[in-house]
Amino acid sequence: MIRAALANLAAAALPFVLALAIGAIVLAVTGHDPISVYALMASEAFGGTRRIAATLTATTPLLLTGLATAIAFRAGVFNVGIEGCFYLGGLAAATLGFWLVGWPAIAIIPVALLAGALIGGAWMVAPATLKVRLGVDEVVTTLMLNFIAINLTSWLVNGPLLARGSANSATPAIEKAAELPRLLPPSTLHLGFIISLALVILYGFWDRFTVTGFRSRLVGLNARFCRAVGIDVPSLLFRMMILSGLIGGLAGAIHALGLVHRFVAGFSPGYGFTGIAVALLGRNSALGMILAALVFGALASSGATIQLFSDVPIEIVEVLQGTVMIFAVAKLGLLLRDRRGLA
Amino acid sequence: MSAPASRTRIGARAIVRRFGPVIANDGIDFAAAPGTIHAIVGGNGAGKSTLMRILQGVDRPDDGSVILDDREVRLTAPADAFARGIGMVHQEFMLVDELTLLENLILAREPVHAGGVIDRRKALAEAERVAAMAGVTLDWQMRVADAPVHIRQILEILRLLYRGADVLILDEPTAVLAPAQVRELIGLMRRLKAEGRTILFISHKLDEVMNAADAITVIRRGRAIATVVPGETSKAKLSEMMVGEPIELPLVHPAAPHAGVPVLAIDTLVAHDGRGLPRLGPITLNLYPGEIVGIAGVAGNGQDELAAAAAGLGQIDAGSIRMDGRDITRARTGSFRDLGIAYLSADRAGDGLCLAASIRDNFIAGSEHAPPFSQSGLLRLRAIREGARRALDTLSVRYGAMGDPAKSLSGGNQQRVAIAREFERKPRVLIAAQPTRGVDIAGIAFIHRQIVAFRDAGGAVLLISEELDEILSLSDRIVGLYGGRITGELDRSGASVERVGRLMLGEKAA
Repeated sequence: MIRAALANLAAAALPFVLALAIGAIVLAVTGHDPISVYALMASEAFGGTRRIAATLTATTPLLLTGLATAIAFRAGVFNVGIEGCFYLGGLAAATLGFWLVGWPAIAIIPVALLAGALIGGAWMVAPATLKVRLGVDEVVTTLMLNFIAINLTSWLVNGPLLARGSANSATPAIEKAAELPRLLPPSTLHLGFIISLALVILYGFWDRFTVTGFRSRLVGLNARFCRAVGIDVPSLLFRMMILSGLIGGLAGAIHALGLVHRFVAGFSPGYGFTGIAVALLGRNSALGMILAALVFGALASSGATIQLFSDVPIEIVEVLQGTVMIFAVAKLGLLLRDRRGLA
Repeated sequence: MSAPASRTRIGARAIVRRFGPVIANDGIDFAAAPGTIHAIVGGNGAGKSTLMRILQGVDRPDDGSVILDDREVRLTAPADAFARGIGMVHQEFMLVDELTLLENLILAREPVHAGGVIDRRKALAEAERVAAMAGVTLDWQMRVADAPVHIRQILEILRLLYRGADVLILDEPTAVLAPAQVRELIGLMRRLKAEGRTILFISHKLDEVMNAADAITVIRRGRAIATVVPGETSKAKLSEMMVGEPIELPLVHPAAPHAGVPVLAIDTLVAHDGRGLPRLGPITLNLYPGEIVGIAGVAGNGQDELAAAAAGLGQIDAGSIRMDGRDITRARTGSFRDLGIAYLSADRAGDGLCLAASIRDNFIAGSEHAPPFSQSGLLRLRAIREGARRALDTLSVRYGAMGDPAKSLSGGNQQRVAIAREFERKPRVLIAAQPTRGVDIAGIAFIHRQIVAFRDAGGAVLLISEELDEILSLSDRIVGLYGGRITGELDRSGASVERVGRLMLGEKAA
């Protein structure tokens, strides 16, 4: 049991270690000292309350986009449409946030978050239906829907929802009451972190202790088998895709109410896609995804400041992120196993 | 072929291959001389497929080695084996349906003009050359999807010739063929042998092996029991070697004559397979409580579709299925199961079990939503653990821990887990498709006893098997299936190997 857990941990840590090694080579080649750069990054990410708060703020959206992705992945659905849900959820929540003038926080926040989640779920109805009824590949449909969502929201904030007198493509700021409370002022860490963390932990329980969690895992492992023992596979896949979209929409809504306080064009720097890496790196497990989201959150928060304090370009952080993702997708465990066979 | 003659063109020396707790090959030796047809016979699960995968370079032995031209070699990949002249025709053909026969032939070795354009004229000339060599004629422009199964098989063989293979491994090549086509195939094999090629002929059909082979190696439980020459043996001796000791047949009491209403009634049912090809029917068959109805037939004659339809997984075009008189033709699989139909799938790795999931999860799958295993949507882990332990003990399943993946179990124990899961639901009808495939002798007897006990307790069993012995020893009634239709029905008392054999080959019962 413990040995298996350690092996899992090692398998999950391996991509990160390899990425650090490759990053070190890149740094050394470009004339930097890898160790001091990494030390700087570590202290930027975790050195002190304010830095940790910044890292956790950056982790927040990734927890939920990772969760949204994992819910689909574990059922065997390769939903890559969370980015689109994130945009739509963010726009819906921000719009209600400035429309519902005079509502108390206790009403406006739940309503706006719910609206964000619902639109994310609704966005997945079409690809889920196409997959379940006609066998249309969800990778294509959900990926394409991302572009539609991003451009649709961009058009809306340049037209009907554009803030009066604003030159930027942005909605008006949301009501003060709609803002999620800050946890550690003056840092930007907000209540959304707690909500996201709680949902991922809840997912961990769902995974292990509920009938639906059991079924969706089994469907992901062998859908034909599930059909043969009487599980309604299409219905389950449909529901998991919608649930995945709901969480994706909620992620955007939380991001809008918690951090951005409005919706702007280019709302997400690819949180939905990083969520894919979080789910893969975390092997769809609650604990694994929390750690993976922290890794990406730390890279993002330290990357933002690192170029202020050293001559290391921010691109190195992106190289690291990209490398972690590549190694996360590669099934490194297989590599180790194969070597035994070839010997 | 012009190389100095070796004594062994292809063979094995003490090959051992283990998969977890299962020993698939336990020190296999054999040697096939060049220019011969060497048959390898053995029951399902004897270790033939593993041995072939090793000879073909797909898998590597844990111990021992492959012999080629009298020398020990280490095959690292299929391409490596191919470079040494070894090619294989698998049971499931590796052809692209959308392409023509010619395109499939040259695939991956296309003759090209300068600039990479396929040289069709040269391709056709090459195709005609290999066809002439093999003494066959094909319509090269036909799409594989439109070609009958024996043409596809000939195409697979020609493809090996086209690529220059001189050792041909044919894995159960006659399983899908009608008798006339079998004769044709054996003729082709003889012509190839006359040219000096070596053929490994994997089969468990003793008639064909006795007819075609120069030497026969019998494999049982991962060991080569003996290598014999057809002239010095008989079918009876061969089957005795394949089975080992005579199977202890479960005591089968003649069932009471069927009274009243059938529990499961299949009426003029027509069904197609996963590729949309009509495979079954129209077929009418009633199943009464307390009887075992054996379906005898050669693979590919509609058994899979019959089993799937009866288990609620079929693709039904017409006709009806009734349980206790209630029409369930279009009902969901879950309804079939809730009404008391249990299913042991022939494809254990596909839909019989979820091999990647734990033994415990396999046990509760399909029952996870109801008491005692869950309540209000929450799993009751303790009830699951206790229920699984009790049921697995009842069936003497040998497992390490209940959380281990099902793939860690041997074939026999896997099937016991499936039986435990199905019997836990207290079914009244059991659809058992190839229930002992890949199971060892002791396991077979055990599973047979379970099926008979189920019948004796009033259950109705639809037993679908390619093993004639199994059909004969368990069935109260035997129904022949050929070309998707029933060819006849025999009572237990009137059944014999010869009569059932005729039913399987589409000849009406006399």
